[in-house]
Amino acid sequence: MEIPDKLTASLEDYLKTIARITADKQAARAKDIAGRLNVNMSSVTGALRALADRGLVNYAPYEYVTLTEQGTEVAREVVRRHEGVRDFLVGVLALNEDVADKAACDMEHSISPDVLERIIRLADYIEICPRTGASWIKEFKEYCDNPAREDDCEQCLTVCLQDYRQRKVHSDEDDATLDRLSPGAKAKVVLVSGDRATRRRMTEMGLTPGTLIEVERVAPLGDPMAVKVKGYHLSLRKSEARTVTVEHLK
Amino acid sequence: MLAFLKSDSPPGARRPGKQLRIAIAGNPNSGKTTVFNAITGSRQHVGNYPGVTVEKKTGFCRWGDHELEVVDLPGIYSLTPHSDEEVVARNVLFDEKPDAVIAVIDACSVERNLYLAIQLKELGVPLVLCFNMIDVARSRGYQFELDKLSRRLDAPVVATVGHKEFGISELLDATVNLATASDGRRSLQVNYGHEVEAAIGEVSATLQARDGQLTDVQRRWLSLKLVERDEEIRRRIEDSQVLEVADRNAHRLARLYGEAPEIIIAEGRYNLISALYREAVRGPALERRTKTDRIDAVVTHRYLGIPLFLGLMYLIFQFTFTLGEPVMGWIEAGFGRLGLAVGSFWGPLAPVANSALKSLLVDGVIGGVGGVLVFLPNIALLFLAISLLESSGYMARAAFIMDRLMNKVGLHGKSFIPMLIGFGCSVPAIMATRTLDNRGDRLTTMFVIPLISCSARLPIYLLIIPAFFPQRWQAPMLWLVYLIGILLALVSAKLLRKAVFKGETSAFLMELPPYKVPTIKAAVLQMWERARLFLKKAGTMILGMSILMWALSSFPRVQPDARSQQRDPSLSAAQQIEHSIAGRAGRLMGPVLAPMGFDWRIGTALIGAFAAKEVFVAQMGIVYSLGEADENSDTLRDKLRRDYTPLVAFCIMLFTLISSPCMATVAIMRRESNSWRWAMAQFWGLTGLAFVLTVLVYQVGSRLGLG
Repeated sequence: MEIPDKLTASLEDYLKTIARITADKQAARAKDIAGRLNVNMSSVTGALRALADRGLVNYAPYEYVTLTEQGTEVAREVVRRHEGVRDFLVGVLALNEDVADKAACDMEHSISPDVLERIIRLADYIEICPRTGASWIKEFKEYCDNPAREDDCEQCLTVCLQDYRQRKVHSDEDDATLDRLSPGAKAKVVLVSGDRATRRRMTEMGLTPGTLIEVERVAPLGDPMAVKVKGYHLSLRKSEARTVTVEHLK
Repeated sequence: MLAFLKSDSPPGARRPGKQLRIAIAGNPNSGKTTVFNAITGSRQHVGNYPGVTVEKKTGFCRWGDHELEVVDLPGIYSLTPHSDEEVVARNVLFDEKPDAVIAVIDACSVERNLYLAIQLKELGVPLVLCFNMIDVARSRGYQFELDKLSRRLDAPVVATVGHKEFGISELLDATVNLATASDGRRSLQVNYGHEVEAAIGEVSATLQARDGQLTDVQRRWLSLKLVERDEEIRRRIEDSQVLEVADRNAHRLARLYGEAPEIIIAEGRYNLISALYREAVRGPALERRTKTDRIDAVVTHRYLGIPLFLGLMYLIFQFTFTLGEPVMGWIEAGFGRLGLAVGSFWGPLAPVANSALKSLLVDGVIGGVGGVLVFLPNIALLFLAISLLESSGYMARAAFIMDRLMNKVGLHGKSFIPMLIGFGCSVPAIMATRTLDNRGDRLTTMFVIPLISCSARLPIYLLIIPAFFPQRWQAPMLWLVYLIGILLALVSAKLLRKAVFKGETSAFLMELPPYKVPTIKAAVLQMWERARLFLKKAGTMILGMSILMWALSSFPRVQPDARSQQRDPSLSAAQQIEHSIAGRAGRLMGPVLAPMGFDWRIGTALIGAFAAKEVFVAQMGIVYSLGEADENSDTLRDKLRRDYTPLVAFCIMLFTLISSPCMATVAIMRRESNSWRWAMAQFWGLTGLAFVLTVLVYQVGSRLGLG
């Protein structure tokens, strides 16, 4: 398995679309793809052949289309690029979603990895840096709409500092963590934090982001707990479960 | 550099004749051992890997024209060198370069089991996948397209049911074929995505420039490990330029993803696995409640769980001691008769009746070894119980239930059962710590087990308590002694964990395996293995120590004094022991013993107690010229009462509870920890602790007028 030769922009779009459809419904039909991309069936068939030749999709006429592992890999990369660019356009440049999505579709095929990396990191940085953040973007948008404004910079910075202090207090109260779920609860792993060695062990035992888990029981003395993950039963201490951020599925 | 990867001559051609070396790898509880047993039958050998506390199992099997040497690698979840087991498994793969590796996969838990198999495949070992327990998986509604999986992974896949020996011959065929094929060493490349691949590529190019002899597979694997920041590989590489490039790339990835590269890579493997899984495995539409779920609902129940656990433990002890007792009687009688028989050789030769050789054989060898072997039935039955607990899957539940308590002293839930077994005998208890994966947990547990009062110490308490304490205080006193032992064990564990093994904490993360009906064959086989190990390794040491102990109490000899000997043989025995090294040592130790309130008699008896704790009673009988004495001897109690105060009596119990474990324990500690250092640290550590505490109790007690 080697990384395939460069895909054309349109093939990348097909791959991206198949990935999105399969995320919703397990497998995609040529019709769905045509519908989403707004093209006719014959171009879909041609594109699917081309992708199948490169070993990226499993395709035979009149059957469901699924991505191969390699296809999944490439699609993930394409989606990552697309989302990175789009998030930047929406989140930092304050463009509206439709405009951003279209522009991202054009830009994603040609952008080089280094540039993309910087763009993603800038977006992250703006989000976490207390001097910028969401309100800063909002002001930027206002500035775009109405460039002639007067600012009280000193007051603005004071507000920043207050916000920052408040955020620090509340930051660890929001997320649901595995230790708070009760037996019978189902959840999806979002993130595993904690120290590196434990994090690695947990990942190796199958607690990867996106994995579905079910809390089965808590030991008679209240700790540890047992969860079902990837078809087996794993027990972990509550202190370890606390490092697993989850999305509670109701 | 990298000598460990080289010498890659064509496989199969390296060993003389048609010998093939096969390794079996797999997750714990994947049924690896049943596959190993099915392949090798009883042609097995159990030993230890050098320098670590991991068990090494090797077996042999003839298949067609080939003689297979099969190594059962320790059960591991991953090839990252975090635990001793993982390091050992990896070293076997590197250093012994097996001709083929069988990856045993629990067909009910394919995704997690494939994680190890993928890593093996990445390493480029000739790999056969063995989907074990396929019957259970199919009955649960799983459907497998093994051909597809085989193509995707580029490795033969065989379905087996280990304990029914189903599929084993196909497995062996596939393994031998692969091992003798010229193109068996094909690796699998996982695609980790653009950024990670770029990093691997750069490290790989640097490696290429520094050492052109590496193959593509080796280069890619090493680069991957370097990007993962694998400490072991970093140590082996020793090339600062390569390390520098690797670190730069690892750092870049960490910044880019906001996550450690080894975790990105682990996720990448799982991504591949879930794609493979979707392609080749169809799970049941609705997951039914399995038998395991139903049993767990009761066994780990909020209110029932603990009573059930304690009840089960009670049954095990009952079973061990009721079944063991008659056998112990036979062994004791057998050794007694053997002693008489050997002694009778000297019968007709009256003048040399007291010959040193006779005494050596009868008292030293037969008496000493017999005194330890008497415990063998109990030890073997406890081994059997442990093996049943392990193979049924209950051991993990016991750890699950008790972890909260053990965690408080810094130990793992799995430490509980070994400590409990310690009430029976320290020897099987120390061997039972093998279920602990973490070295710190294991050594700490082994270290404190002798503080749990074993059954051999009971005769001492039963002799002393009725002699010194009024009826109504007797039961609480016995209870107090046991309680002191338990508390000391817990406190020492906590201290050891804090001071000595502080860096070695690990995640609790433990699989609760599905329950299985244990096979009698496997349980008996394991009991036999462990009992044999005890007899063989510990036995030789115990023989040596028995002779030493005998010499200590027999030399230098008292000049034969015909008159006194005729009049009272027990008096001459008392003279002999007083005259011996042990007796003299007892006297010499006077200054050390005095602060504890002990005299030379107690000192001499304590030396004897090293052979086996209950020998203390017999030794006291000898020094008081009473001949044979046991824990029911009222005359001995009278003598004791005359010479000692209740405070001293309590101090004797305290000291024998804590101080030096018996020689069988020292021997097994040496074996299990694989070093004399730990055995000696335990011996002197516990003896020192006993001394300090006993002095404290005696001094404070006598100041308070309790003496």
